[in-house]
Amino acid sequence: MPVDRDHYFEEMPCYLSVQDREYRIVDSNRRFREDFGDREGTFCYVAYKGRETRCLDCPVKRTFDDGRSHACEKTLTTLDGRSIPVMVHTTPLRDADGEVKAVMEMHTDISGMRHLKQQLEHSRTRLSRLFEEVPCYLTVQGRDLVIQNANRAFREAFGPAVGRLCYEVYKHREEQCLVCPAIKTFEDGETRSHEEVVTGPDGQKINVLATTAPITNASGEVIAVIEMSTDITQLRALQDQLTSIGLLVGSISHGIKGLLTGLDGGIYLVNTGFAKENPERVEKGWEMVQRNVDRIRSMVQDILYYAKDRDLDVMDIDASELTGEVREIVRKKAGDLDVTLELDIPDDLGSFEGDRQAMRAMLLNIVENSLEACRADRHESDSKVRFRVRRSEPWMVFDIEDNGIGMDRQTREKIFSLFFSSKGIKGTGLGLFISNKIVEKHGGTIEVESEPGAGSRFRVRIPLEARPSTRPPGGDTGEGEGMDGGQPPDPDRR
Amino acid sequence: MEDSRRILIVDDDPDTVTYLTSVLEDHGYLTRSSADGEEALDQLETSVPAGIILDVMMPGRSGLDLLVRIRRDPRWATIPILVLTGHDAILEDRGGTYTSSHGVDRGPDAVLGKPVDIAELLRTLEGMIPPQ
Repeated sequence: MPVDRDHYFEEMPCYLSVQDREYRIVDSNRRFREDFGDREGTFCYVAYKGRETRCLDCPVKRTFDDGRSHACEKTLTTLDGRSIPVMVHTTPLRDADGEVKAVMEMHTDISGMRHLKQQLEHSRTRLSRLFEEVPCYLTVQGRDLVIQNANRAFREAFGPAVGRLCYEVYKHREEQCLVCPAIKTFEDGETRSHEEVVTGPDGQKINVLATTAPITNASGEVIAVIEMSTDITQLRALQDQLTSIGLLVGSISHGIKGLLTGLDGGIYLVNTGFAKENPERVEKGWEMVQRNVDRIRSMVQDILYYAKDRDLDVMDIDASELTGEVREIVRKKAGDLDVTLELDIPDDLGSFEGDRQAMRAMLLNIVENSLEACRADRHESDSKVRFRVRRSEPWMVFDIEDNGIGMDRQTREKIFSLFFSSKGIKGTGLGLFISNKIVEKHGGTIEVESEPGAGSRFRVRIPLEARPSTRPPGGDTGEGEGMDGGQPPDPDRR
Repeated sequence: MEDSRRILIVDDDPDTVTYLTSVLEDHGYLTRSSADGEEALDQLETSVPAGIILDVMMPGRSGLDLLVRIRRDPRWATIPILVLTGHDAILEDRGGTYTSSHGVDRGPDAVLGKPVDIAELLRTLEGMIPPQ
């Protein structure tokens, strides 16, 4: 059934109007009249917008000017005051000579589209904020492993990243990592998790748990990989501490069993000595008891020192006085073990800065270690420990040398490790670890030379002047407070 | 020459050696001692004891390493060996994992923990080395 063109114009589901060169409405369709009234003869800007003057950006004018169609977005106001966002299209209406006599204007309601657009914008902002603020490191990498996007946490931890290679930023590497989870995710589209150690801008190591996930396009092709890393450095440190505590407990338990054996032995000799009326056996047993009680005391002090990491109490230490104290403490032990203690300690050593108690504990630990090395060497009839101190600017140098059992390379490399003991039941593995820690805290060095069967030499260098890190705040080197616990092992032994 | 009542004590701690020596000699055994594995091997070359009491943690060659070495030598393979240790893991495992991983079927004949119970030590020794 033929339908006339006027009917199409009338029933179009949009606002249609025709304006003459003076912008007066000369025709309109039903939909227009429903929302804007019968406005024939009215200026279009009055009818559509309630304006008194022509719109600045008028597509109708432009169509009159160039004879072409134009489009733009506008907001109209209906008779009942509603604002309607619309898409405007204009088209010229020509006479037989081709001259533009009027312009037809079509307004399509785009409120629904505008709403969707706003929602999309809102979602984008939320997503972007979420990406930006999520409390872990987030990056998006392309197939070339160039970072396309990085969130705030990442930028704060690793510096500017966009446009740089992920392995360059994350690991300071010049080449791609041997195992690359991002590449694997690109290959198979699977999510992957693994633990990594990455490097911050200042070179600090950061333990992270990294997860990679694919970003796909509409056809399912992986176009980028998002990598999320969580800083687990503190967790790892805690685990290490727990492992250390576990090792310490095992080591202490082993050490105590050995000391109990020594005590049992002493008690056995004392008891059987009395029973057999053998004073020599009683004396030998009593010495064993005393020795093992001393070892228990020493072990407890080592444990306490390990348990509390305290600040140094730096003061001026008279080197001759300090080494004299050490000599007095170890003299009896050396005599008991039949080890000759040779001392080379000049009177004019002067003083150096350090924590007196810590220094004494450190020296005692090393000297006693040397005495034990002689005690363990049953082949050597002329056991000796030589203790030499000299001032060699800018150091105070302590040499402790013995002709005991010595150490192989493996032992030598491990002696300053926590819980390593070559002394069987006698060692908790804490003594030399603590000594090394004390020397390091003073900014000094400790070296060891040793060969199996040829004895050992420990050389300790302590700076004469306390390093800035060891000085108390304000440079006060007087006798400060703060010795509230975790004292270095007090080596006074009877 | 094998000495039927002589026990070789291998331990780096002189107090433990003194203790075990006194106890064993008080109960009719003869003793010799070594402070480490190498010295023990030297002593085995000169005389074969009736039994060995072996510490595990020693400088140089460990007690279990020495045990494997002894078991591999046909001259000493059957010497009863009592391991004395403060290590819970070795006590529970009875030294089996270490010896079997080194291809030795016969581990220690007995494993006792430190501090040692004297009565148990003597009873175990009597079981390993029957009185003449």
